[in-house]
Amino acid sequence: MHIENYLNVIDACRFCFMCRHLDPVGNVTFREADTPRGRALMCDRIRMDAANLSNPDYIDAFYRSALSAANRFHCVSDYDETGLVLAVRRDIVEADLAPAAVKALAKTLEKDAFSVKGKGNALYFGPTPELYKGCAVITGGDPGKALAVLGFEAASKKVFARFKKAVTDSGCKTLIVAEPSAFEFLHDRLPDVKVIHSAAYFVEQGMNKTGSRKAVYLESDFLKNYCGNPSAPRDLLKQLGYKLVPFGTNVEESYAVGEGAVVYDTLYPTLAERLCQRVYDLAEGLGKTRFITASQTVKDTLKKYNPAFDVITLEEAVALSQD
Amino acid sequence: MTPKNYLYEMIRSELTWVVGDEYVQANEADNLGHSIDYYWVPECWHDRGERPTPPDLVVYPGNTQEVAAILKIANTHNIPVTPWGGGSGSQGGALPIYGGIVLDMKRMNKVIEIDPVTMCVTAEAGINAQHLEWEVEKAGFSTMHLPASISCATLGGFIAHRGTGVLSTKYGKIEDMIMSLEVVTPTGEIINTLPVPRHASGPSLTELFLGSEGTLGVVTKAVMKIHPIPAARKFHAYLFETMHDAMVAGSQLMISRMRPAVIRLYDEASTARVIKRVLNIDRKGAYLVFGFDGPEKIVDLEMEEACKICERTSKEDLGTEAGQSWWKNRYKFFYPPYMFQLPQAFGTLDTVATFANIENVYWAMKNVVKENFPQAAFIGHFSHWYDWGCMLYARFIIEEPPQDPNEAVALYNRIWDMAIRAAIREGGVINEHHGVGLKLGRIMRDLYGPAFNVLESLKKVLDPNNIMNPGKMGFPGKGV
Repeated sequence: MHIENYLNVIDACRFCFMCRHLDPVGNVTFREADTPRGRALMCDRIRMDAANLSNPDYIDAFYRSALSAANRFHCVSDYDETGLVLAVRRDIVEADLAPAAVKALAKTLEKDAFSVKGKGNALYFGPTPELYKGCAVITGGDPGKALAVLGFEAASKKVFARFKKAVTDSGCKTLIVAEPSAFEFLHDRLPDVKVIHSAAYFVEQGMNKTGSRKAVYLESDFLKNYCGNPSAPRDLLKQLGYKLVPFGTNVEESYAVGEGAVVYDTLYPTLAERLCQRVYDLAEGLGKTRFITASQTVKDTLKKYNPAFDVITLEEAVALSQD
Repeated sequence: MTPKNYLYEMIRSELTWVVGDEYVQANEADNLGHSIDYYWVPECWHDRGERPTPPDLVVYPGNTQEVAAILKIANTHNIPVTPWGGGSGSQGGALPIYGGIVLDMKRMNKVIEIDPVTMCVTAEAGINAQHLEWEVEKAGFSTMHLPASISCATLGGFIAHRGTGVLSTKYGKIEDMIMSLEVVTPTGEIINTLPVPRHASGPSLTELFLGSEGTLGVVTKAVMKIHPIPAARKFHAYLFETMHDAMVAGSQLMISRMRPAVIRLYDEASTARVIKRVLNIDRKGAYLVFGFDGPEKIVDLEMEEACKICERTSKEDLGTEAGQSWWKNRYKFFYPPYMFQLPQAFGTLDTVATFANIENVYWAMKNVVKENFPQAAFIGHFSHWYDWGCMLYARFIIEEPPQDPNEAVALYNRIWDMAIRAAIREGGVINEHHGVGLKLGRIMRDLYGPAFNVLESLKKVLDPNNIMNPGKMGFPGKGV
C-alpha cells in the first residue's frame, strides 16, 4: 500500500493536535475526521487492517480534505500529512473504491489533450495568452495534476505524457505556467525545460506602476505551502502599484477555498461555498479592497458563490495595468 | 444506547430537530477521532489494535439554546453527555466512556465582543484558543493565555480543567483570566455568573464551574481579560550545578515579589535530555530561564535584578540568547518527534506545592518511580510559579512498555497511582493544569478527604440524573 511510505507520518500525526487549527475544512465542519490527526488515525486503522480501506466514512473524509498543506507548512518537523492523504487516495483508487463522483470526474480528466499554437522561444500555459507577446501557447485541460490529486496516478501519467510531448514538439525551452496547481505539478517534471510561474515572468519583464490601490493578495496553497512561498506574486503586485494589506487574522491559515484539492468545488460544492463564506466574512470591514489571487480556479470559486466579490487574478491585474 | 433500534432513531431525530441533520453525526470516521483524546491509555489501546469506546452520536450545537435543548433531551432519555472541545486533554476527561452523546463545542466559535475599555473579550466557549488569540491580537491586544496546547484546545477546554499558559507567572491561570461565564446546567437551564470576578455577593459561582470538567454543566460563553501587547519581552537563562540551586534562585525571584512573566526550571535529567535535544544546549546541570515583559525600561530593570538573584547560586550565565531561544522554541517541545510518543509509555505527573514542599514532592515521586519501576526514566521541570510555590511538571518515560495493552495500561496506572500518592503525602496537590478526568478520579476522595462530599453533593443537586460526563473527576459513573 502507498500509505506504507508514510508510516512516519502516521506515527507522528495520529496523536498530534498541534496543527489542527489550520485545517480549512476542519475549521468549517468542526469534525474530528477533518483534521490531520483524524485522517492519520484512519490511516493507522487501515495500516492495521486493510479491510478498513473500504470504509465509506473514511473514504469520504479523505476526499473531503482540501489538501491546503498549511498543516505541513506549520509543522516544526514538516511531517507530510498532505502526502499521506494523497497516498491513501491512490490506495483507494487502486482498490477500485473511489466514490462514483470521483470516478466520473477522473474519466473526464483522462480525456484532456494538448495542442500548441504559434511560435516563440517560450511556451505559455494558462488562460490569458494575449499577455504573452511572442510566446507560443499550449492549450488543453489539466496536465495531470487533478488526476494525481484524486489518486489516479496511472491516468495522470498518461495525460502528463501527452502534455510533455506537446511541449517537447514545440521546441520551446521555457514554459510559463499561470495556474499554481499546474506550476507545482510541472516545475520539476520537465528536465529539459525551464518552468516558471507567470508572476516570476512578469517580475522579470518589469512592470510599470500604474496607480496606487489597496489589495489583498490571497496566498496560494500551491505557491506558499508546496513551492516554498516565492516572493514573485507579491513583488509583481508591488511593481504594479498595489499596496498589499493583511487579510484574516494570521498568516498561517489557508484562505484559498480548496485550491490544494484542485477540483474541490466540483466534488464538494457545499464545503467550497463554506470555505468561500469564511473569506467573505473576513473581508467584511475591508471596504472596497480588491482581492487578487494567483489562481483562476480560486477566483472562479469565489465569484461563483458571490458574483459581487471583487477578486481578480494576477494576470488580470497585469492586464488592467496595460489598459 | 444501541444503534439502529427505535429508541436510538427517536433520540437522533429529536437531536436533529434541534441542530439540523448535518450536526448530528454517527459515522465511523468521526467516532474514531472522538474515541481518542490526548490521554495515553486510549492512544495505547488504539496502537495495539483495540477499539476505544466511541460515542453513539456526536452533536455540534450552534448556540447556547441548542445546548440547553440537547441536555434536556439527554435528561429525558438518561443519556450520558460528554462535552468535547479540542480533544487535547491528557486526562481522558473528554472520552465518552459510556457512549452516549459527545457534545462537540467547536461550532460555537465566535468572538462576540472585544471591549477595549474594560479590556476583555467575550467569546463562545468552542473557539480554538489560537483563533481567539489571533482575533484579539488583530485588535491590538493579547489574551496572554499562551499554552503549548493553544493551537488545539478550546477556550471551554481550558476553563473545564483550569488550564495554564506559558506566561501564567505574571498573567495568571485561566481562572485568573475569566471575568464571568455563561453556563448551561445539566438540566438545561441557562445561567450567567456575576459580571465581575471580585465581589462580596456570596461564593463565586464562576469558580464552581472553573475546573468542573463538564461534570456540572456546559460552559457556553466566557468573558476573559485581555492585555496590551507589551513593548518589550526579554529572556535570560542560567545554568545551575543542581536543581536545588536553581530552585533557590527561582523561589527567591518569587518571594522577593518580582513579577516575571515566566520562569522555567529543568532538572538535571531534563536539561540533559530535553534542553539538549530541542535547544541544542549541551550542559550538565539544571537549566533555568526567566522572562519579563512590559515597558522596556522596567523590563531592563527587572532583568537586572533577577540576574543578580540568579548569579548568587548559578554556575554559568547562559545569556539572553539561550533565553530567547527557549521562548522561540517553547512549543517545539510538544511536536513530534520532540514530544514523547508511542511505543513509549509516558505520563506527566503534574503536581503543585508550596516552596516548602515542592522539592520533597519531586524527590518523593522520583524515588518511588526509581525504586519500583526501574524500567522508567524520570525527568521534571518546574513551569508555573506563584508567590507561594510552583508547579512540578514531572514525567516518567518507559521506552519499551509491555506489548499486551492490558499489561501496559496496568503498569501505567500503577506508576501514576504510586507517584501521585507519594506526592500527596508530601503536601502536593494534583494537579496544576491538566485536570483530573478519568485518569485521576480515584484519587480525588483521598486528596480532598471529607470535603469531597461537598463536591459530590453539588454534583447530585445540579445533575440529578448524572448525565454530565459521568465517571470523571471522581464522580460516579453510569455503571458498565
